[in-house]
Amino acid sequence: MNKTLKQAMMLALCSSVAWSTASALDLKGVLKDAVNEQLGTSSKPEQTQATDSQANTSAQDKLANINWKNPSREDEIAVGRNVTGTILGAAPLVNDAALQQYVNKVGRWVASQSERADLPWHFGVIDSNDVNAFAAPGGYVLITKGLYLRLTSEAQLAGVLGHEIAHVVQKHHLKVMQKQALLDVGTSFLKDKISKNKLTQRAVSTGAEISARNLDKSAEFEADSMGTVLAARAGYDAYGLAEVLQDMETINNNDGSVALLFQTHPHPDDRLAQLSQVSGDQMDKISGGKTLETRLVKLK
Amino acid sequence: MMKKSLVWLVTALACSQVVAAETGVALKADQLRADTFSDAKVVGSVNKNDAVDILTKKGAWLQIKVAGKTGWVRLLTVKRNSAGGSNVAGVVGVATGRSGTGKVVSTTGIRGLSAEDLKTAQFNEAETKKLESYTVNAEEAKQFASSGGLSSRSYPYFTGSAQ
Repeated sequence: MNKTLKQAMMLALCSSVAWSTASALDLKGVLKDAVNEQLGTSSKPEQTQATDSQANTSAQDKLANINWKNPSREDEIAVGRNVTGTILGAAPLVNDAALQQYVNKVGRWVASQSERADLPWHFGVIDSNDVNAFAAPGGYVLITKGLYLRLTSEAQLAGVLGHEIAHVVQKHHLKVMQKQALLDVGTSFLKDKISKNKLTQRAVSTGAEISARNLDKSAEFEADSMGTVLAARAGYDAYGLAEVLQDMETINNNDGSVALLFQTHPHPDDRLAQLSQVSGDQMDKISGGKTLETRLVKLK
Repeated sequence: MMKKSLVWLVTALACSQVVAAETGVALKADQLRADTFSDAKVVGSVNKNDAVDILTKKGAWLQIKVAGKTGWVRLLTVKRNSAGGSNVAGVVGVATGRSGTGKVVSTTGIRGLSAEDLKTAQFNEAETKKLESYTVNAEEAKQFASSGGLSSRSYPYFTGSAQ
């Protein structure tokens, strides 16, 4: 059961990740596979649970008792921790304590400017050459080494983290997961105290529906807009995120998989145009921000 | 035969220079400035929807040419026209040294984070604990900010309506 839950969450995560510029996530394929796998394993969920390691028991208990209809702060953190730990299972942290601490300091400072400053925010750089970043519910944010290496200032890092922080603040991923868990279920279904396995099963099968709807682009545009303001509030130059988006436009990638990415994600061009539109003349009123090029920690 | 090859070579060279002529369109009216400061001298202006030539990029500024006048605007003022073909880097890529193959990220052979990786990934408790061990609290972050000369500022979220 927990495996399928993880899958459901992973799908939700992937479906609304902002920065998948160079990572080739075949969402539809994953969803289809996941649904197929779910159908094949749905008869023996308890067995799957029995294989969970004891070390994870308490965390898994929390996961098994998520109130998807109205998740608590603790529910949210438990879900986010699981999603994050699964990504880390695919790509571990870059083994550089100074770098990780640095990213946490920048991220925590930007998060402190948000409405959810009280969350236990965690930031990490993962060892992947893809250009990507991930936000998971409850205050978990990961950025790939591939994206980090493209950054040229702390203000840009702040902008990227600000975008992810905005996803968490607005509960974008959590809402997608909730939809997965609750769509097509109906309130009577919920009242019946159905097994979590069944709920998870439904969450996975509705993943296909999410794929059909494509991405919620407005969530990405909102995260760009909010992330820009959060970085500016933190004292950084407001154009950090815009600069990163513009840099992304220059990624020369003829890989066929990019077609799908640009099909399922707003193109950096559109994100910049949207940011320009939404910010209007408000960007001009933000002045005196710092870029801090020299403080950006270089990878070992 | 020889001549034909030469023609091809010349054509190829000509094509490689095409990046210099990147164009865009103004997303909003703005002033052209003589330099990359918000208080630099105003040397002209651009109207919304004006077609512009993008000459180069410097930080969050673009140098553009419009109606015979050249000046700098913030990068959100101009939307670059879609490059269309494979030459997406354009002048901005050249300016940042990121055109061509130098920064191709998703090349075959480089270990990436594929969909398959994510699908088959197993929760890693040790790495999760490691991640959590790097957590800093609000006070530590504030001190870090101060040491970089950063101070908290109060700006509202943008209120412009989306397209």
